[in-house]
Amino acid sequence: MLGKISPSGIKARWKDYLVLFSGMIITTAIFYMFEAISTNDQFTTNSPVGESAKFVFIFGSVLLAIITLVYVFYANNFLMSMRKHDYGLFMMLGAKSRVISRLIAMETVVIGLISTIIGLIVGVGFTKILSRFLASQIHMPLTHFSAFYMPAMWTTVIMFLVLFIIAGFLNARTFVKTSALRLLRSSQQSDWKQPKAVSLWVQAILGILLLAGGYYAMYDIKQLKLMAVAIGLVTIVLGTYFVFNSFFVMLLQVIQRSKMNTKGLNSFTLAQLKFRIRDYTKILSVVSLLFALALGAITVGTGFQNMVPKLAQGNGYYSVGITNPSSKMNALVDQIKDKSTITYQQKIDPQTKSVYYRIDQLQKQPIKYSEFVDKATLKAKISTAQVAQYRHNDSGAYQELWGLQAPDAKAFKIKVVSANSFNRITAKTNQLLMVRANNMDAATTTLTKITNLQAKQYGTKNNQLVGGSFATYQLLKGVFGSLEFMGIFLGIAFLAMLASCLMFKILSGAASDKIRFDMLNKIGTRRSVLKRSIWVQILGLFTLPGILGIIDVAFGLQMFSRSGLLIGGAYQTFAITTGGFLILYLIYFAVTVLIYSRIVVPKTKVEK
Amino acid sequence: MTTKIVQTKDLHKTYDKNSARPYEALKGINLSVDQGEFVGIMGASGSGKTTLLNILATLDQPTSGSVEIDGQDVTNFSSNQMADFRSKKLGFIFQDFNLLETLTAKENIALPLSLQNTKAALIEPAVKTAATKLAIEDLLDKYPNQLSGGQKQRVAAARALVSNPSIIFGDEPTGALDSTNARELLDTLSGINNQGVSILLVTHDPFSASFCKRILFIKDGQIGDEIESGDKGRNNFYQEILEKLGTFEQ
Ligand SMILES: Nc1ncnc2c1ncn2[C@@H]1O[C@H](COP(=O)(O)OP(=O)(O)OP(=O)(O)O)[C@@H](O)[C@H]1O
Ligand SMILES: [Mg+2]
Repeated sequence: MLGKISPSGIKARWKDYLVLFSGMIITTAIFYMFEAISTNDQFTTNSPVGESAKFVFIFGSVLLAIITLVYVFYANNFLMSMRKHDYGLFMMLGAKSRVISRLIAMETVVIGLISTIIGLIVGVGFTKILSRFLASQIHMPLTHFSAFYMPAMWTTVIMFLVLFIIAGFLNARTFVKTSALRLLRSSQQSDWKQPKAVSLWVQAILGILLLAGGYYAMYDIKQLKLMAVAIGLVTIVLGTYFVFNSFFVMLLQVIQRSKMNTKGLNSFTLAQLKFRIRDYTKILSVVSLLFALALGAITVGTGFQNMVPKLAQGNGYYSVGITNPSSKMNALVDQIKDKSTITYQQKIDPQTKSVYYRIDQLQKQPIKYSEFVDKATLKAKISTAQVAQYRHNDSGAYQELWGLQAPDAKAFKIKVVSANSFNRITAKTNQLLMVRANNMDAATTTLTKITNLQAKQYGTKNNQLVGGSFATYQLLKGVFGSLEFMGIFLGIAFLAMLASCLMFKILSGAASDKIRFDMLNKIGTRRSVLKRSIWVQILGLFTLPGILGIIDVAFGLQMFSRSGLLIGGAYQTFAITTGGFLILYLIYFAVTVLIYSRIVVPKTKVEK
Repeated sequence: MTTKIVQTKDLHKTYDKNSARPYEALKGINLSVDQGEFVGIMGASGSGKTTLLNILATLDQPTSGSVEIDGQDVTNFSSNQMADFRSKKLGFIFQDFNLLETLTAKENIALPLSLQNTKAALIEPAVKTAATKLAIEDLLDKYPNQLSGGQKQRVAAARALVSNPSIIFGDEPTGALDSTNARELLDTLSGINNQGVSILLVTHDPFSASFCKRILFIKDGQIGDEIESGDKGRNNFYQEILEKLGTFEQ
């Protein structure tokens, strides 16, 4: 008989199960995707950073496993909050607790199994899409990469099955240990204690001091070196905990003491939020820290990536130098939108080991060259070359022109001669076309085609040898590509998981809030007022860790930029990623509000 | 002439009307409650007591018929009008979970007034007055978990009273209390009633019912019988209820 009751309970709450399943499926998919990409040698060894990238990926993998663990814990709590009442009822009716615990264990494992299988399928799809998208974004060829990767499959299946078997085991124990009555009543328990003022003050001050200390340590990385990271980690973790446990509570108390408290449902909303914040201190702290970690990973990752054009263009003014461009190449050059070009005549004389240029051409159309003035901000100065500069092979002008020549000419010295002398040299006259694309990101596809043709023309396999700032650009893109990939990937995965952790934690409390909202409805609270109270409460729970996380990153970036790891424009990237992050976060917030309202807001049935 | 606080005309309620198996829970209820009355509604389980109370309390709407409370026809109120009406004109005492644990007694009592956006300056004295009526002035700053069961029910009663409602509704208000606390709450309700507040209780407990001045018996969605306590005294009335239940429920 019980075998029938169990599925019937699921049917009645299929929407809540849908949330649980989609959450689990996405988690499994993300986990698989990361495993597939990070354990796949094809991807890591192909990347120019090779071994170090692999290390970073393993590190990310461990972090992801930890948060997955936390996530499964919260999802399981949500499942239990849904089932405690039903199963408690069966026990009241005389079902043996042994039978019930076997049932709940089975239900947990079956849910885990189904979501893992679907998650793997979704994961393969995700991996295919994401790897293609990222490969195009970072211009990194993933030719031998397959989205279906057996070792990653195994890791994922084992990881999740073990987690669910443990969860099922723990759930079963809860049912054996807890009496039926307590299970039935579990949703009505609330152990609210008004915190003591002294302890609040002490914790709030301590929390703020710790946070300030941590932020300062990160800011002062130049002096503190690696100590800054250690100090920052400890103080920020502790500070965050104390701030949630006291500072935010005190802030709410200030509002509670104001006249606002007696307006509408405010007294309830504020008190409830205060209670929740203290009750959720641990998860809120974790969410805030992971939020910072995720946001930081994305910001630093894309920050590196965005440095690439600046770094490349600071190293050289012209993107490519083309010797004797074919008509195909000329057509390609025409396609580049925002550009400037110069063409020089050139003769190579192997006897004198020199490359000759005409002085009149260099004077009439002088080349430009670029040099860094301030490495910290990636500020580069663009200057116009003087003919005299070509006498010194360490001058900016000489370096620029030298770098743009074909590989065989690079072995020789540059000589500038008069038009007459140039004509007397018996050698073939080459055309050297120098092209600057002002926007390298936009011209990447065309420039790649050009350099590929050049490599063929020069008979070299290595695109780096064709020279120009585009070669530097490609090299750096490759290096930072895997870092960015990692950053974006971990960032999104973390955010998705931590937001769902928070979601499940909040939704787990919905059952016990139902009675409160029922009562508020009876004493005459408008439905719209109830809904507003819900979204204010949930907004509070979502934004506070978010705000703290954003502040963490704002200071954490100081550590990167002041130690010279991240140069220029990082805060702009920070603003953009934060924006993107908030959108994703808001979606989770909206879903939580919707589901929560559906559970707690009483409906007036009117059938006429 | 006494004014009527509640008056219903030919009240019908059909659940799942558009389904294959509609169920008619109320089949033409006509009742009225006068100003200052203490009325009980009794009946077997499933007879329609809660259904009736929910409609009277504007928590649900009837399928047909009309309800007038304090001279206002509430039958066709919108859901917002219903909510506003409840907060201004009705008081509630529930069986279980009366108070919000995160709010002090004072804040709990003030809730109905806050909902009506009463000025802060007016809330304070209104809460004081209600608290004095129930002798809980010195409990106002405590949280519910610092109060005994009986004290909690008195705080809940103060919350029901604070907006000077036209009538107080209760659905099995003593259902979750032990006999001492049940008795204390019923005494309190009688006291409130003696100060002129109308009360309508739904119960199937004869002891609770014996505190009422008039009892309506409901059976299969219809009012079957009615008795009054008059000057009989509570014990005699209690006996009469027991007898009535004996014959009525056959
Ligand atoms: N939401 C509903 N949908 C369908 N039928 C309902 C609904 N609510 C109540 N009923 C039915 O209407 C009838 C009257 O129910 P009601 O809750 O009013 O009884 P009651 O007198 O309060 O019983 P009890 O003393 O057990 O509380 C019952 O047969 C019940 O099954
Ligand atoms: Mg009932």
